[in-house]
Amino acid sequence: MGSLSKLNFKIIFHLMGLLLLVNGGFMLLAALVSYLYEDGVLAEIVLAGIVVIGVGGAFMLSTRNHQKEIQKREGYVIVTFGWIFMSLAGTLPYIFSGAIPGFTNAFFETMSGYTTTGASILGDVESLPKGILFWRSITHWIGGMGIIVLAIAILPLLGIGGMQLFAAEAPGPGGDKLHPRITDTAKRLWLIYVGYTLAETILLKLAGMSFFDAINHSLSTLSTGGFSTKNESIAHWNGQPIIQYIIMTFMFLAGTNFVLSYFAFKTKFSRIFKDEEFKMYGIFIVVLTIVAGLIIYFEVDVINSTIAHPMVWGEFESAMRHGLFQVLAIVTTTGFVTADFTAWTPFLTIFFFGLMFLGGSAGSTSGGIKIVRHLIMIKNGMMEFRRTLHPSGVLPVRYNKRAVQQPIVFNILAFFILYMLAYIIGVLVFSWLGLDFNTALGGAASALGNVGPALGDLGPTDNYGSLPDAAKWWSTFLMLIGRLELFTVLILFTPFFWRNR
Amino acid sequence: MKIIIAGAGEVGFHLAKLLSFESQDITLIDTNRESLSYADKHLDIRVVRGDATSISVLKDSQVDKTDLVIGVTSSETTNITVCVLSKQLGAKRTIARITNTEFIDNKEEVGFTKFGIDELISPESLAANEIELLLNQSGFNDTFEFDEGALTMIGLTLSRTATFVGKSVKEIGTEFPALKYVPIAIQRFGTQYTLIPRGDTLFKEGDQVYFTTTKTGVDHIYKLSGKVREDIKNVMILGGSNIGKKTAKDLCKRSFRVKLIESDKDKAFEIADDIPNCLVIHGDGRNVELLQEESIDDMDAFISVTGNSETNIMSCLVAKSKGVKKTIALVENMDYFQLSHSIGIDTLINKKLLAANNIFRHVRKGEIVAMTMLNNMNAELLEFVVTYSSAVCDKIIKDIDFPRSAVIGGVIRNDEGIIALGDFLIKNGDRVVVCCLPQAIKKVEKLFV
Repeated sequence: MGSLSKLNFKIIFHLMGLLLLVNGGFMLLAALVSYLYEDGVLAEIVLAGIVVIGVGGAFMLSTRNHQKEIQKREGYVIVTFGWIFMSLAGTLPYIFSGAIPGFTNAFFETMSGYTTTGASILGDVESLPKGILFWRSITHWIGGMGIIVLAIAILPLLGIGGMQLFAAEAPGPGGDKLHPRITDTAKRLWLIYVGYTLAETILLKLAGMSFFDAINHSLSTLSTGGFSTKNESIAHWNGQPIIQYIIMTFMFLAGTNFVLSYFAFKTKFSRIFKDEEFKMYGIFIVVLTIVAGLIIYFEVDVINSTIAHPMVWGEFESAMRHGLFQVLAIVTTTGFVTADFTAWTPFLTIFFFGLMFLGGSAGSTSGGIKIVRHLIMIKNGMMEFRRTLHPSGVLPVRYNKRAVQQPIVFNILAFFILYMLAYIIGVLVFSWLGLDFNTALGGAASALGNVGPALGDLGPTDNYGSLPDAAKWWSTFLMLIGRLELFTVLILFTPFFWRNR
Repeated sequence: MKIIIAGAGEVGFHLAKLLSFESQDITLIDTNRESLSYADKHLDIRVVRGDATSISVLKDSQVDKTDLVIGVTSSETTNITVCVLSKQLGAKRTIARITNTEFIDNKEEVGFTKFGIDELISPESLAANEIELLLNQSGFNDTFEFDEGALTMIGLTLSRTATFVGKSVKEIGTEFPALKYVPIAIQRFGTQYTLIPRGDTLFKEGDQVYFTTTKTGVDHIYKLSGKVREDIKNVMILGGSNIGKKTAKDLCKRSFRVKLIESDKDKAFEIADDIPNCLVIHGDGRNVELLQEESIDDMDAFISVTGNSETNIMSCLVAKSKGVKKTIALVENMDYFQLSHSIGIDTLINKKLLAANNIFRHVRKGEIVAMTMLNNMNAELLEFVVTYSSAVCDKIIKDIDFPRSAVIGGVIRNDEGIIALGDFLIKNGDRVVVCCLPQAIKKVEKLFV
């Protein structure tokens, strides 16, 4: 018990209270939307907001005499429980308004929102009150904000998954130092995040979306979430390629390291094109799109799909566009849908299933394993050949022209192994809960990578509503550990975390 | 000329020795009583005991009347401080020995001259340059280029197969009339004496011979010397000190395949980080198994530059026994240095000697364009610019009263190297390369300046 009492619970609860206050504030913003569109759930959302603010305020007040010291240990607890508390509080608008019946469903939907997964248990979103839809998109957006801070500042500090190498505030070589103080860095990146969101909203509005759809999709794109206000997701605009191209552009940006966006605004373009991860990210997207696009064009009869495919700019453009859209949606783990990739060819189904393990760039809002980790693992693998020939050689992996310290490589290898283990266990539990082979394989990959659409019964045209309750809970768990880069959550389950010393 | 040398270490001592031969007025400052009394006993110089950065010590040494202050203590910061202080106190020129090569690279930007340091000398980078030059001329064990190679000085040991052996200078001249070369110095096998060859001097097996020649002559001499120009591609460097690192970096840039062995793990990682194309091996270079594992037999050159002279010599001998064609060892100890040719290592280099020679070159600057010491020999190569006031101007070489212990190695006219023989007419603006023994320096200088 020694160390348990040593944890600074007061500051943990104080910060939880702060998060709840923020959360409640955003609920009131959703209430404003509800008021403007007169959707009839104004009172319920306001009530939810007040309750959350009240609880948060109470937390903060009762712990105002805290010591301001935060150790690594508290860090893990704060990050993990931060997401859990936010998700618990976020269910209130759904429950009070009756938009989503049942706590399990509401919790699944909020966790899917905050982890920017975008998996939904709702079949008919269009019938929901506008205020609730807005709240749903806002959960993504808050989650995305949290991830930016997490990725650039907190995870490197906690030394998780090799993130110390890629983050903005990383000490030593490899880090792109933005500004010496974390809060300033966070503010700068948030400003970019907000700017991108506003830009996308305006562009989508100009391209012909309604203002409400535009803002919701922007919130959901920048956070690489995937919630849509339409039952058909982005396939709703299959007849308007411009809207889809705008969304693709912003999906690409959201999957890019936000630090690079910062450099772009500072017109330090050379820094961007020198970035190895960005180069790989670009190459991956282009190559994968060409593969997918050509197969769709030559092999797939899209007329058979349940989704309408009007080819307003010709068949080839349509094939390439849907190829690119699906590649971006899966790689950046956004999970928007313009076509059903499971209905194309068996190869493409497996292809997109594989992409769920790729992930976007580090320092972006995307989930998954992340390109930089693949890059370093592949380089390390190749280096092993040379190491066999030169047993005493000093042969470090190089990233962005610098040698990477071996402990960081091990960190990344450990991350990958844990990720795959979590995936296998995830699949096993799903199948034990009665999901079929495809659904279990796809569902676990999608939840762990925070993608959204999966395979089988959870395909791009389906939703998660049909899952058994236990499977929904298991999904939320996978989403949470995937989002928080495994270590942050899983370390709480290790005995040495709680042991003294 | 009045010169103050701060630091009586090996560089300081060697420099004092070189300069005192020319009867310069030298003051040596150091805190170490022993090295000072050693210098005092062996050289004709004035010694002052004390901290060279102390203003009173500098004033005692009459810094205000000094033409040149040379900071060559082992501490870079001391050298810089001494130079800055001396300049402020009235010294005319200053030279500081440094270890951080960044200073040399950014000399203009930082403006070292502005705050009082005229020249920066880094023994480490001099050694690295020397190694590179030696690798380029792999059959030779010493080399120096005048005017970017218009004339080249090369040194080599005559093997039995060399055409030269058993013939006199004159005979070679009649046998190969097309050969453009001048033999400028010979050291007989096993002796320490340097002689300036005359027409009847015989070349013998094992002689260390120095030639000056033109660009085309280098290949010709290669053939006659029975040596083949080895194309060096694979290089192994032992020791990741500043010299090793700089050499590896430069060689990698010129697409040599470089392996560097370093025993300190962190240092090895840093070098691997710094030089991507260099294969860094972590291990002890004295371990023959490790050398074999890294296929030492395939190496064209082996360069040992660890901090330990004995290790360098021994590992070079190991490399030689494994068939490595070119071996270069860094030695700190001047006594070992004398053994250079008899122990079978191609070249020994000593960074302090290099530094001293380089500084010496700076001292003579003005009258003399370039100069070098022949490796461990008692002779100097000087390059003079002929002016109308020179005694030799508009004279035919035959008619000049040249001392016997000096020889004209060649002339550079309009950037072109010429091997000048007896009937050559020296004109204004010519650059003349002369090899001379120390006792002739004064005489030769009088002829040209």
